[in-house]
Amino acid sequence: MASIQLGEGEKTFIIHGICKDDLRSDGRTCLSYRNFELECGVVSNTSGSARLKLSNTQVLVGVKAEMGPPNPLNPSRGGIEFFVDFSANASPKFAGRGGDELAAEISNMLGLVYKNKKMLDYKSLCVIAGQCVWTLYADIVVLECGGNLLDAIALAVKAALYNTRIPLVTVHKDMDGTEDIDVSSNPHDFVTLDTKNLPVLVTVTTVGSGHIVDATLEEEACSMACIVAAVNKEGAIDGMVKKGSGSLTIDSIYKMLTSAKQIGKDLNKSLDDFLSKKGSDMSSKGFLT
Amino acid sequence: MAIFITTPRKRHVCDEFTEPQRLVTPGATITADSDFMRGHGTYMEEDELIASVAGVVEKVNKLISVRPLKTRYNGEVGDVIVGRIQEVGQKRWKVDVNSRLNAILMLSAVNLPGGELRKRSAEDELKMRQYLTEGDLISAEVQSVFSDGALSLHTRSLKYGKLGQGIMVRVSPSLIKRRKTHFHNLTCGASVILGNNGYVWITRTPTEEEEAPDGGFVQNLQPVSDEDRRVLARLRNCILGLADHRMMLYDTSVIYTYAASEDYPVADLLNPDIMKDVILKVRQQLNQEAT
Amino acid sequence: MAGLELLSDEGFRLDGRRPSELRKIRLRLGVFDQADGSAYIEQGNTKALATVYGPHEVLGGKGKPLHDKVIINCQYSMATFSTNERKNRPQGDRKSTEMSLHLQRTFEATIQTHLYPRSQIDIFVQILQADGGNYCACVNAATLAIINAGIPMKDYVCACSSGYVNNTPLTDVSYLEESQGGPVVTVAMLPKSEQIALFKMDNRLHVDHLEQVLEVASKGCKDMYAVMNAAVKEHVSRMAKSMECS
Repeated sequence: MASIQLGEGEKTFIIHGICKDDLRSDGRTCLSYRNFELECGVVSNTSGSARLKLSNTQVLVGVKAEMGPPNPLNPSRGGIEFFVDFSANASPKFAGRGGDELAAEISNMLGLVYKNKKMLDYKSLCVIAGQCVWTLYADIVVLECGGNLLDAIALAVKAALYNTRIPLVTVHKDMDGTEDIDVSSNPHDFVTLDTKNLPVLVTVTTVGSGHIVDATLEEEACSMACIVAAVNKEGAIDGMVKKGSGSLTIDSIYKMLTSAKQIGKDLNKSLDDFLSKKGSDMSSKGFLT
Repeated sequence: MAIFITTPRKRHVCDEFTEPQRLVTPGATITADSDFMRGHGTYMEEDELIASVAGVVEKVNKLISVRPLKTRYNGEVGDVIVGRIQEVGQKRWKVDVNSRLNAILMLSAVNLPGGELRKRSAEDELKMRQYLTEGDLISAEVQSVFSDGALSLHTRSLKYGKLGQGIMVRVSPSLIKRRKTHFHNLTCGASVILGNNGYVWITRTPTEEEEAPDGGFVQNLQPVSDEDRRVLARLRNCILGLADHRMMLYDTSVIYTYAASEDYPVADLLNPDIMKDVILKVRQQLNQEAT
Repeated sequence: MAGLELLSDEGFRLDGRRPSELRKIRLRLGVFDQADGSAYIEQGNTKALATVYGPHEVLGGKGKPLHDKVIINCQYSMATFSTNERKNRPQGDRKSTEMSLHLQRTFEATIQTHLYPRSQIDIFVQILQADGGNYCACVNAATLAIINAGIPMKDYVCACSSGYVNNTPLTDVSYLEESQGGPVVTVAMLPKSEQIALFKMDNRLHVDHLEQVLEVASKGCKDMYAVMNAAVKEHVSRMAKSMECS
């Protein structure tokens, strides 16, 4: 992530606070999140979209559903592809090709987690097996880069997928055996996706001998390693990766995963509650609030 | 534990407003009178004085200038700043001060350890990195301004120098009110340096038994106690809240905000609704005092 | 022109506007806190976001600092979901590079570059939804962002596009109107001095009609200026009031 430099005194202050007193620079405990601001349906010419703001991190996700030939390895399933774009708005360092490496890393991680067949009902995205399936393109634009980017992106992706409307498709068989696809142009004829199995990503960062979630940029600068776990609403872990250059003991990994599981459950629950009330909005104010 | 997900809030600025009398936008003519001298934020074209930024016109005798609301820091001699070392160079350090060019801190402008007075030798040059390296925070005063606008800093007094344990907060430079002193020791046990460049440093006030400020050569890396930490965290949230609501930062506003925030636990101050209530109380208090 | 009728007999366009009407404009200044200046503009369904960083030290890649003026670095990018057909690359393709260059030239004409020698100003514009008039929305958003950052400019830069159908010039063309193949003239203007900073035309237009179309585009720019100026004044008043209150 866009890292900042800190002086020795500042780092010592942050590390002591986390390891000894369970008190971070902004008064939070080690395992609490800042407030999220989320709205769905921000970009109108996508199939679904969401904008999420977590203090000074802001991401915008747009999902477009397009019909096309399937992946030859899975001829009767639809698919989802991720593309992350670090907008230069977030920092001049991301201008030109500056953010490409980081973006590739994040898109790969999301792709890995979503490859699991149980995530989405990929079979329902199939129109004609072997010929035509729906592919969802989830495009993530990072507008502001404060700490904890992965959690924000995963939440926004889940919200955007909840908000996605795929037009209703009917397949008739002509008299000569060819299949004819009819895409409904009625905006009220649509199918939504079942997002209940989708995970959220929880990044647990080690700082000194303790660990925290929802790290700010300053706290990330003091840490050497972190674990990103994809947790679903039952608390099961769907994927996990360790990042950073430091090494972790098995004990600490175990403790971090235990925290991640509980937090993942709570995060999923809050998100599902919010989406059931506001997830189907199609015309939010976006930046005009 | 509760995680809050809400819809975006309306941005917090004044709901009612009146257009200030001398509000100008770029391209607007300020005056056609050629008697006036032009200051910052204006330019002359065909005998007319035209504004080049959006702000309020300030007239001091015959000088007309327009001050924009938000801008990068423009240093003046005598300002107190908090900056971060970006680069260690030949006999100088380059310091980031939120201005359009990095400021320079010459080796000859810092105190040597122990307070010696002598010409800096080649050895001192090699030891520069031991004293200040990339990423360190310092407090300093502006000594002079170079012709291209870069600032030259000095830490010749014992109250300036490398900063130890504490929290640094960034706000816009236009929110820092110019006062006689920018070092404040608050009653709650914390010290605050309100740098003119918008960088604010919050730290614990050193007690009597500890050494008096010595230019930061010896760093105190002892863990800070729990209550002190809470005080610092609360101050940090208060200052950020004031900045969010575009209120001027000076010792009185910070103290009032701290006092008003004591009704709530520290972590709750991150909640925008609660911060809004606190700021409202402070605004009323300050308005009452002004009248 | 097959298919859609761009101008009906009663004089209404596809979206119900009259030929000289601009689309609905909504804008906000100061959308991001971390940037020095930022703005968001919606012209009809076209949404553009602009951020300005600077002036600051020249960062590595852009070469040596200039001794007598500031380097203006622009980047134009479109979100991959902004167009009807999904775009593969947000920026780096030829069109984006061309637009970035246009933006740079436009703003070099109005920012007072001699005030900031050896520094750099970054202007980044992103299109979130593209429905015609992309360049115009970018220029307008960037102007507002620069004003928000407190960087001195000679004057606003307002941009407007115009087309020509059935002997009638149309102001502020949308994507549908652009894609019909008729001429589209884009003009970026400094409203006070009526100087044109950028002038671009696509497709064919008979030179006899040029003056008419140019006049309509200029009027569109001046109308844009009125809207933008009112919004800037309101924003500054609000900020000034809240800073005064303390």
